[in-house]
Amino acid sequence: MSRPAHPHAMQPKRPGRTRTAPPQLPPQFPMSGRYRAYTLFDWTGLIYLLLGFMALEIVWAVGSGPAAWAAITARFENPVYIAFHILAFVSVIFVGVRFFRFFPKSQPPRIGPVKPPPQPVILAGLYAAWIGVTAVFAFILSGGLSG
Amino acid sequence: MADRPKKKFIVTRFDPETDEVPKTQEYEIPVEPDWKVLDALNFIKDEIDGTLSHRWSCRMAVCGSCGMMVDGEPKLTCKEALSQYGDTVEVSPLSNFPIIRDLVVDLDGFMDKFQAVKPWIIRAKERAVEEGPMRQSPEELEEFKQFSMCINCMLCYSACPVVANEPDFLGPAAIALGHRYNVDSRDEGADARNEVFRGEGTVFSCSFANECSEVCPKHVDPAAAVNQAKFNAVIDWAKGLVLPRGGKE
Amino acid sequence: MKHLLLKLEPLIWLLFGQGILLGTLLLTGWVLILGIAAPLGIVAPLDFEQAHALASSFIGRVVLAGVIVLPLWKGAHHMRHVSIDMGGAERDTVVAPLLYAVALFGSVAGVIAVIRI
Repeated sequence: MSRPAHPHAMQPKRPGRTRTAPPQLPPQFPMSGRYRAYTLFDWTGLIYLLLGFMALEIVWAVGSGPAAWAAITARFENPVYIAFHILAFVSVIFVGVRFFRFFPKSQPPRIGPVKPPPQPVILAGLYAAWIGVTAVFAFILSGGLSG
Repeated sequence: MADRPKKKFIVTRFDPETDEVPKTQEYEIPVEPDWKVLDALNFIKDEIDGTLSHRWSCRMAVCGSCGMMVDGEPKLTCKEALSQYGDTVEVSPLSNFPIIRDLVVDLDGFMDKFQAVKPWIIRAKERAVEEGPMRQSPEELEEFKQFSMCINCMLCYSACPVVANEPDFLGPAAIALGHRYNVDSRDEGADARNEVFRGEGTVFSCSFANECSEVCPKHVDPAAAVNQAKFNAVIDWAKGLVLPRGGKE
Repeated sequence: MKHLLLKLEPLIWLLFGQGILLGTLLLTGWVLILGIAAPLGIVAPLDFEQAHALASSFIGRVVLAGVIVLPLWKGAHHMRHVSIDMGGAERDTVVAPLLYAVALFGSVAGVIAVIRI
């Protein structure tokens, strides 16, 4: 039922006077209770790595000419790619929501003489930026700026 | 004592002199409706099994002694109403700590990490008594006050997945308390503490699980402190790139 | 290696933090259009001339570099946490440099990719 934590977790520098039993992991870690959201949050790292390399592929294709661009556009129409991107979209939203929830409280109370804005203002600003950048980027990538 | 409802308690037992590994023992006891979990443990010890060992003191969630895992979550047993739990309650020692006996864990590992962050006011030059007390505005106090509310109950260490897996990590309470002094306007020891914060126990090991803040009974929000400490450590590092500290490298 | 990782940590954390913040801001529209809406025909996919015109502008190159580089550092750093959370503290001196090397390789390739457009 209980699983061992790292054998030296919270171990004192000097041994105590009696033998101790080894530390145990919190029972709900890693996939029960609140830990599930945390573990999934960390696993979105894999999605972001894949997205970064796929973005690299796309940009490389733009620099390689029309044939490469056509090839990669066709590849992205593969249902597996579309399914991955739907998962990726959900992951990016999940990352944004969780990270924005934590971002305001992680700002130090002061950097030199400068104080950050109140936490609700930071949160509103983050969401405004998210919606704004997404809208602009989506508009541009849909050909909104092109003829 | 007639007709009081009963609850079953599955309690971890470990005697280093006789037990290879911890085991559990079941106790079924009558309970009162207004009991906390600690009242049940004290009843077990007083009336049923005097060999049960557990820590407790103030009974009002200010001393930090009675932290244990209750149904798999780190709690102050003096604070948690028994009525919120079902007919069977599991009580075990705090996760992530070596177990000395029964529900008692070894806290010396925390004491080592705590001392390492130098949790006291550090002044470049001690203030003479004749100069009078140091002055601090309410706004300056607000910047760190919440982090000073820590009662060292260790629930945050029990909940933290990084503490579980990285033995060197300083941990939530130690970093929060070091940060509390870094932010205190009376303190001048941020350089010394940032060396510790960027050393083996590095604050950057924190993966922002936020579990420490979820379980903290005093609303210290150690996750906020640790992540503010990361920002400050980055600023410290950036300053070090541009203005190398004279004579320190 | 552990000492080197500790020295570089503030920089890695900055890249990781911007990977989450700016990476997420940029990736949302990127994935929505290029990964879902355009392939499904909900919007017309960009043809080569349109894509090249957008990408070859200065701001286009900067943004594209961001879309490539930032998610890689977020990804690498989080996968390092995954490894540690699975009991991998001892192997971290191997896993962390490996992951960051992948991110670095992708970042360098990304910069080359935007320059050669």
